[in-house]
Amino acid sequence: MDYATPLGIIALAGLVHASFQLGVSMMTLLSGHSLSSKRSKQRTLGLVTCFFMGAVVMTMLVVSFIAYVVTQSFAGDLPVWLWTLSSSLLLGLGIVVWAFYYRPGRDGTALWLPRTAARFLSERTKSTRNEAEAFSLGLTSVLAELVFAIPPALAAALAITTLPVVWQLPGVLLYVVVASLGLGIVVVLTGSGRRISTIQRWRESHKRFLQFAAGGGLLVLGFFIYVTYVVAPVMSGNF
Amino acid sequence: MSELIDVVKRGKRTSEPFTRDKLHASIVASCRSVSSPEALAHHAADHVCDVVMLWTADKPEITSDDIRRQAGSALVTLHPEAAYVYQHYHIIM
Repeated sequence: MDYATPLGIIALAGLVHASFQLGVSMMTLLSGHSLSSKRSKQRTLGLVTCFFMGAVVMTMLVVSFIAYVVTQSFAGDLPVWLWTLSSSLLLGLGIVVWAFYYRPGRDGTALWLPRTAARFLSERTKSTRNEAEAFSLGLTSVLAELVFAIPPALAAALAITTLPVVWQLPGVLLYVVVASLGLGIVVVLTGSGRRISTIQRWRESHKRFLQFAAGGGLLVLGFFIYVTYVVAPVMSGNF
Repeated sequence: MSELIDVVKRGKRTSEPFTRDKLHASIVASCRSVSSPEALAHHAADHVCDVVMLWTADKPEITSDDIRRQAGSALVTLHPEAAYVYQHYHIIM
């Protein structure tokens, strides 16, 4: 059994997920609001950590849910059309990310979100006072970006279901760990006393690179899945 | 005096009267968010409010973007990091 291919797909899908920025934006705002409300750095770190845990749990739930549905529906024998669907979503999303992920013509890191939704999330972030609210906000950050997170999560879930049962939980954990890297780095930076202006400046000056990397990663992943799981079985008559 | 000036908000939100206290609070919050000492935050906010009040003196109506620009450029000389947060707050997400 070839483990490297599914694990590689899971890791790359997780990396693409990690490059999405809504959670990082919300965490940056949360940390700024918390400090501006005269909360101690320790308390701010507590809120940010709970936000991180919420995002980790929801990411795990999303990918596990998709993997469960796929396993129950196809009993481990994935049809070619499902891989075709996954690669099409990844390729389409790659182009969408390149074109629309950041608002065209706007400075800063304003995202694709409708402005009313962005204002709502911003207000919710502002009024977050305790750890339970921060945890819920972390859950919400993943749900709010689901339209972008579903294609890589689907690709990872399909790859997870091709692994033997004992490898499936490590597969889910691999996806979650890699997908949470960006948020984890912000938690560490906040904990080490970096100013939010430093974090935001970095995000702003590298936003085009992150956008290119996310879109490029999606296209590479989509193309790889198409060749490996759609073209190869069809060419060999094994579908 | 300042309460007679209307602030036109972004989008379809209704306008509201300009209040020095609200501007003061947002400047203090921006300074605190970059871990600025409390005294420096209040000093910077007082200075920025004075500059903006002077600028609004002959205007019946201003936009929230005008305030952000004026306050941001007044703050940048005293506290560049806080000015960056103040000016970019609404475009972080």
